[in-house]
Amino acid sequence: MSAENKQIREIVTPGQVIASDPELMAGRGAIREANGDIVSVFVGLKEIRGKYVNVVPLNGLYNPQIGDKVIGRVIAKTPVKFLLDINSKFLGILKPSDAFKRSHRTRGYPKTMGTYRLPRENDMDKLKMGDMLICKVLSGSRTEEPTLTSLGQELGLITEGLVIAIASTKIPRVIGKKGSMIALLKNLLHCKIFVAQNGRIWIHGRNPESERLLIEVIYKIEREAHTTGLTDRVKAYIIKEKKNRGIK
Amino acid sequence: MPILVPEPHDEVCFREDGKRLDGRAVDELRPFSCEVGVIKNAQGSALVRHGKNLIYAAIYGPREVHPRHLARPDRGILRVYYRMATFSVHERKSPAPNRRENEISKVIREALEPVLFLEAYPDSQIEVYIEVIAADGGTRCASTTAASLALADAGIPMKSMVVGVAAGKAQGKVLLDLGDKEDKVGQADIPCVVVMKDKSISLLQFDGEMTLEEMKLGFEYVLKGAEIIYQKQLEALREKYNKISRQAEIEDAELSKETPKEEKTASESTDTAVSPESSDIFKSDVEAESAENTRSAEINETPEASETPSTEGSETKTSQEDVSSVGKEAKEENTLSEESAPSEVPPQAGEDNPTGDDK
Amino acid sequence: MMDINDVVSNLERNYILKLLKQGKRIDGRGLFEYREVKIKTGFIPKAEGSADVFLGDTRVMCGVKYDIGAPFSDNPDKGVCTVMTEYVPIASPMFEPGRPDEVAIQLARVVDRGIRHTNCIDYKKLCIKEGEYVYILFVDCYMMDYFGNLTDASAIAAIAALLNTNLPGAKLNEKGEPEWDGTYAPLTIYEIPLSISFGKVGDVIFVDPNLSEEMVLDGSIAFAVDEKKQVTSIQKYGSATWTVNEIMETSKKAIEIADELRAKLKLRQHVQQSNS
Repeated sequence: MSAENKQIREIVTPGQVIASDPELMAGRGAIREANGDIVSVFVGLKEIRGKYVNVVPLNGLYNPQIGDKVIGRVIAKTPVKFLLDINSKFLGILKPSDAFKRSHRTRGYPKTMGTYRLPRENDMDKLKMGDMLICKVLSGSRTEEPTLTSLGQELGLITEGLVIAIASTKIPRVIGKKGSMIALLKNLLHCKIFVAQNGRIWIHGRNPESERLLIEVIYKIEREAHTTGLTDRVKAYIIKEKKNRGIK
Repeated sequence: MPILVPEPHDEVCFREDGKRLDGRAVDELRPFSCEVGVIKNAQGSALVRHGKNLIYAAIYGPREVHPRHLARPDRGILRVYYRMATFSVHERKSPAPNRRENEISKVIREALEPVLFLEAYPDSQIEVYIEVIAADGGTRCASTTAASLALADAGIPMKSMVVGVAAGKAQGKVLLDLGDKEDKVGQADIPCVVVMKDKSISLLQFDGEMTLEEMKLGFEYVLKGAEIIYQKQLEALREKYNKISRQAEIEDAELSKETPKEEKTASESTDTAVSPESSDIFKSDVEAESAENTRSAEINETPEASETPSTEGSETKTSQEDVSSVGKEAKEENTLSEESAPSEVPPQAGEDNPTGDDK
Repeated sequence: MMDINDVVSNLERNYILKLLKQGKRIDGRGLFEYREVKIKTGFIPKAEGSADVFLGDTRVMCGVKYDIGAPFSDNPDKGVCTVMTEYVPIASPMFEPGRPDEVAIQLARVVDRGIRHTNCIDYKKLCIKEGEYVYILFVDCYMMDYFGNLTDASAIAAIAALLNTNLPGAKLNEKGEPEWDGTYAPLTIYEIPLSISFGKVGDVIFVDPNLSEEMVLDGSIAFAVDEKKQVTSIQKYGSATWTVNEIMETSKKAIEIADELRAKLKLRQHVQQSNS
């Protein structure tokens, strides 16, 4: 039996001393006190990686990192940009030049043709409130709203399927080691999945029943992300539920 | 018109056997229990039962500040709303917020600010909503205890937990954790909030008559009581996850009964492979892998790859590679459209997600 | 600027619509299937009656308090009962602190009417001295977690709390003023009204909208139904229009569902044993 007491991993809490060795350094989620103790700032799992002591939080908003792919929802428009909710403390900014390719046709005809000009298309009308896009984070910091782009491979407007959200710290568990978990989900449930770094997951299955099972499985992974043996358990759960619900 | 059954207003706070009216000794805490994750909509939440107090706290944020003029460019702001339900007290309280609630909201905010890293959230706000469903003395202390739990549950970084507990005096004796009657008819009341890391005090108010020696004894009681509550807070924070772990164990046990051969799935151990920057213990080795491996993993029905996980991922490339492997997954499903869509229109979703082949 | 969570993703809207056209719903229920209801009562010590109701994930807590005061001049021999609902910001990122807005006020009045216009409370028993002293009951509902259909959840919480209520008895002293006679007694409740709400998207009508559905629906309608299988009040919300046929069909469905729900909930079990 593989995972007996391994299941109860040590969860550290804010203010808890997690190391006192002066050789170790405080990594993410930890700070060094004046007296040399290293203390956790989150409720999370402690890990020691080389010389660093980190605490991985078990909950929290998404922190934009440059290069991350995120799924954002248009919630506001100004005359010059779109504002997207990306499940972070700031809204993401999407400028039309980062969302739509400019065609040379919109520049109008050259002056030699007279005063005739094509009406300039209003870029700002191309996206509506509530549209969901896959974007990449171009820039962002502690003090600035992140800028996004939806131009690029696998980026842009989503037109079908459904997007659900889980805590962004648990996203890697949905992907799994070498993509093992996501492969498992795709193979057993015959669905398409795209996992974004900000905790949002796009899914598209064959039928509503398999989509619903997939959603439940993803929530199960989120809940049990801190345990071991998860892939086996998820696989068994899917197989059992498929049989119970009569999903092919 | 006063209601029919009045609250007792006499001075008696002790029984004949010398114990307090609810059977406690002078330095004994009321029964305390707490739980986190009780309000699903909130970022973090907690329920505290302290004596007969029943208090919910919920955290929303960090998010943008409304109204905008309150935002501070150098640090985040904490907003606390302490409210009592109309039916939480003996005589129905009007639903409109009153001055007492206003003041208490402020002192609770000032009790929480020292343990938060507000500089990490410029231009943002963190909202703490406290709803007292049943009140029985010492609500501002119990509310701060609940708020501290809710903040930790929300994943907001904190330097320490804080615990609220009051001391006071009734009929000449210094008491720990005043109950409702002791609070109302007693001689003194010192509500406090203790920062558990260094045992400093972040909320302090005092009303009544007490000598300095009595006050000192009161503080000793407070620190003693706070320690007991603190342990319960930690237990509640862990229990949220330990409960799930225990259920997972049961499921595992059932599983192993069904599959006789026990394969330890090496791929499951999550103790490995992440650099300090990326910090996600849940992130397995996705970042270290090349496209070929991910593709073959997909086709494979049994996902366990039995390779030993590499121990050090390369630091700076982590997020890029992670992104690229996710992207590559998606690419498998994508029927790339042959040509790019006309450029006025934003790229439409192909099969999996927007095809974005930009030519 | 719009609050983030008020803007529903078009993806979700289309998905829900697509499912509804097939007679399915996002959480697997049938079009006329109600979510699970869980009720706990009598847990707030200082309230005369209390209830904690879960309707699916939506949670409403209700407490009953009383006061003694003068009756309304047009009903000098009847007590008074008012229902209030409070949209506390604790329940949802969409609720803001501050005075109740039009949505909150409407909800309070709808739940209030559901109880008032049914033969629910015996108001005459709440009279202590005609024209001068009556019991005034305050039924206050606090939303604690918002996942759709606060109307029905509040209605259940209000009636459960009323059933759970024990009031101190009153007698008149020498000066003709009321004082406690030492007893407690439960309220006399005749009929148990329930509210059943339906949402409408396009032509599809479905009962008990959950949060996602409530964000995308065109309109909704709430029926209060009593035990005599009568509809005692109706409120239409939103800007969708309903044909007369739709309204009639939906009323019949409301009566059916209310009966089933009432039988399942067995609300009278929440009456406290009176202790004198």
